[in-house]
Amino acid sequence: MAEMTLVEAINQALAFEMQADPDVVVLGEDIAKNGGVFRATVGLLDKFGPERVRDTPLAESMIAGLAIGMAIAGLKPVAEFQFMGFIYPGLDQIINHAARIRNRTRGKMSCPVVFRTPYGSGIRAPEHHSESTEALFAHIPGLRVVMPSSPARAYGLLLASIRNPDPVIFLEPSRLYRWAKQDVPDNGKALPLDVCFTLRTGEDVTLVTWGSLVKETLAAAEKLSKEGIHAEVIDIATIKPLDMETILASVERTGRCIIIHEAARTCGVGAEISAQIAEKGLLFLKAPVQRITGYDTVVPYARLEKFYLPTEENIIEAVQQIMEFA
Amino acid sequence: MKLFYLPDLGEGLAEAEIHEWYIKEGDIVKVDQPMVSMETAKAVVDVPAPQAGKIVKLYGKKGDIIPTHAPLVEFESDEEPMSKDKGTVVGALLESTALLDEGNVIIGAAKKTGMTAKAMPAVRALAKQLNVDLNSITPTGPEGQITTDDVKKAAAPHSRLTGNVETLHGVRRSMAMVMTQSHQEIVPVTIMEDADVTQIKSDFTVVLLQAMVSAAQAEPSLNAWYDGKNMERCLHREVNVGLAMDTEEGLFVPVLKDVLNKSAAELRTQIDAFKTSVRSRTISPSDLQGATITLSNFGTIAGRYANPIIVPPMVAILGCGKLRDEVCARNGMMEIRRIAPLSLSFDHRAVTGGEATRFLAAVINYLEN
Repeated sequence: MAEMTLVEAINQALAFEMQADPDVVVLGEDIAKNGGVFRATVGLLDKFGPERVRDTPLAESMIAGLAIGMAIAGLKPVAEFQFMGFIYPGLDQIINHAARIRNRTRGKMSCPVVFRTPYGSGIRAPEHHSESTEALFAHIPGLRVVMPSSPARAYGLLLASIRNPDPVIFLEPSRLYRWAKQDVPDNGKALPLDVCFTLRTGEDVTLVTWGSLVKETLAAAEKLSKEGIHAEVIDIATIKPLDMETILASVERTGRCIIIHEAARTCGVGAEISAQIAEKGLLFLKAPVQRITGYDTVVPYARLEKFYLPTEENIIEAVQQIMEFA
Repeated sequence: MKLFYLPDLGEGLAEAEIHEWYIKEGDIVKVDQPMVSMETAKAVVDVPAPQAGKIVKLYGKKGDIIPTHAPLVEFESDEEPMSKDKGTVVGALLESTALLDEGNVIIGAAKKTGMTAKAMPAVRALAKQLNVDLNSITPTGPEGQITTDDVKKAAAPHSRLTGNVETLHGVRRSMAMVMTQSHQEIVPVTIMEDADVTQIKSDFTVVLLQAMVSAAQAEPSLNAWYDGKNMERCLHREVNVGLAMDTEEGLFVPVLKDVLNKSAAELRTQIDAFKTSVRSRTISPSDLQGATITLSNFGTIAGRYANPIIVPPMVAILGCGKLRDEVCARNGMMEIRRIAPLSLSFDHRAVTGGEATRFLAAVINYLEN
């Protein structure tokens, strides 16, 4: 049994793929000698040497640009941004170049880069270490956005992301980095991108979520089952492209849907899912689609964090409310 | 007391085996002094003391497997030993060694479990209102949608009578509707009592009508209309008695208007005229309206007591059963007397029990004297 935390599974996936594919390189601030701010890259420098495991200056635009250049030139770089709030200086590189190389060169070039970064609040860190702006990247054509929620999916989806020929924004829920361990065999098996994972089946309501709130959603579903309400829990895992087929198939059976995300409410990914259900699943709805989200504010400092994050109770309450419809 | 944890001995190894202790409990060690040699999967390495101090406890003996980051030795020193890696430079991560058991994770969608009804929200709302199960409906709309009409059709009574079925018409139909309405709205109470009518030699039905008039004067609240929706009642000065008449066509209730101001002969003439016009179906609608109280003289056919049904908006109906001769105790003697069994139903929303029983007492008093 190889039991490990989510961050250890990330490390295991990086090590596996670096071993298997000499084109894979990792770079970022403090990722080599220090092993990364969360220790995601610990041990890689010793194993693969400074040519393939590079500490960079504190300059995110440069990290992004360097990685894109490496990718176009034939390497498979995995670049780390220390926190999601630090990624913004790299946006011009990511949006104007990484996402467009394939289109701009009419398919002659591609950009097989993975930009890894921890996201999310709940770890009592300052606000620019706590955000969840996946919708920003999901909005950009040409980018894939992947958000694992368990050690096994972190391992399988990171392998898939590295092997994917186009740029992937890989967002890791820092709150779940060391939350629990799971058996993750180091077998190099990738999980499919662009498909949802149904973590729990149920006939009464579909709970759609991703990343760190999978934890609260599963706990809420477990409690609801004791009340006789059976919730289906879907971890969408890949935010873009969105596997609406799985979500719609579930809503077709349950007739009710609640989307739970940590990001701010307005223009969040929940709005996109809700819109698509209205467009394609209206005939099956027994109740209005609901969203449980963070607030349209900057993530507060540690003392207020618990009021910002959706809770198990929020989810249970919302489910009980929509069960009263038809 | 300070704990020293087994550090990662290289390349992310999960554990190491104690090969040999160089120190024992109670020893004073110097910084960097080798404390123990540990055997990993790859090599045997010495672990140096991280600080000077007295060793108070060794965690494990030769041959024991120690997981990386588990306690190795305990110092007596107050100095801070190498702290455990928190795994981050800002904030604090949730941490546990709990095993995550996700059970059976399905990649993609769960299996479909049969057909699901397709309907717009308004149609669902209608189905809920009409208590129709959408899954039992065969859809006729585009793309298999259930339409409003589908729901309405499904809401219609499912099992209709078969065989020699006739639809109710006319008075029989209106009786069915009025009785249903009465049953749904009214809170009826029926009280029963016998009247001694031995001394009545004249037209009994007419006397009964006059008795009701007398009682209505004593208790006007039974000669009234009641509107339950608006909680309003209307007491009538005139006593207009609806007289229930049985015909093949159904129940007719022609109304004897202003009974108070009519003579016995007039009343009899009117009753006979109604009998003829009801039988010949020539009775005018105005003769069937305006009753303020009802008399059902069902005893002309059979039956002793009943619970007569009040027709809204009226609040009372008097039923009279079949007259009979009965041996009664009277002035200490047994006597054969003529007895009329009376049943009075009243709407308890509008009439009190006291009012109703006083009304009945007044009827009996009139009949007996």
